[in-house]
Amino acid sequence: MKVDKSTRDLLLEIQKSKRVLLEGNVLKLLEADPADTEFAKYLTDASEKDKEIRRKRLEVTKQVQEQNRSLLASQGENQKLLVDLKEALDSAECAKTEAEKAKDLALNDLDVLQKKSQTELISTIVKVALLVILSVGVVTTIMYIISMFTGKDTQIIGSTWSNMFGILLTNAFSIVGTIMGVKYASENKDK
Amino acid sequence: MIDSILLVDDESLFHLVFEDACSLLDISLSLESLDSSDEAAKMFEGWQNDNSGRPECVFVDLNIIGSSYDGIELIRKVNNEYGNGVVIGIISSSNEPEEQAKAKAAGAQFWIIKSDDIEPRLEDFKKDFQGYKNKTLPFKVYK
Repeated sequence: MKVDKSTRDLLLEIQKSKRVLLEGNVLKLLEADPADTEFAKYLTDASEKDKEIRRKRLEVTKQVQEQNRSLLASQGENQKLLVDLKEALDSAECAKTEAEKAKDLALNDLDVLQKKSQTELISTIVKVALLVILSVGVVTTIMYIISMFTGKDTQIIGSTWSNMFGILLTNAFSIVGTIMGVKYASENKDK
Repeated sequence: MIDSILLVDDESLFHLVFEDACSLLDISLSLESLDSSDEAAKMFEGWQNDNSGRPECVFVDLNIIGSSYDGIELIRKVNNEYGNGVVIGIISSSNEPEEQAKAKAAGAQFWIIKSDDIEPRLEDFKKDFQGYKNKTLPFKVYK
């Protein structure tokens, strides 16, 4: 496609005065008169400049495209990491709850064990104390009976027996009272 | 040289790459880019009544995000509903033989693998274009 003289002159004038050349695919359609070397050079220059601009733009666009892809990939990775992190957090929370449950269970078991030990200890103390009380009572009573049947003086053993019996009974109640008090106190502490 | 090309691709940056590559390789005089297959289908529907402005060659992306149908479906529509007067094929980063077979069955004439270095493939395509236009070339994958 050829342009008329006025258009050709205008284009060359614009190039000289403004240093602006035609751009784009329209250059592929235009052709100069074989004798018109000046306009042929104009078209070659314009075409080369246009190609140079496009080449540069293509390079930049490709770089941007690559960066865009990398950014999208990183975004995907970040999202995956975020999901993993959330899952890990949920697992940790679950594990914490389980651990707290296990701790409560262990503390409960320990408490039961302590109470059991305390009860067993109290039971042993009571048994031993009662055994001592009964033994002392029985021994003193036997001694008192023997004194009575053998005609010996029973004044001292009698008063001793009654005193002993009174003391033993008092002590027995004292032990029972102490045990009940300890039991009551430990029950209140639990509450 | 191809008179006019229509590119249907949801990636706007690729529009620029494709436009510059086609211009540098003197592949086409005019190029229009769309980012939706629905829009392309509408245009083809219009060209059924008035042929002016109809492209000579259509490049369609395989997966067009935000559109009602993918590239293969668009090719099927263009070939079966709107008349197959254009050279049409896929331009995609995918290289799945299954997808390529589907595209071929839908009437795609070529499959160009989209990558950073797309110019050599477009140059090969430019050489083969007349064969596609005359329907003498079989389906080809440009790797």
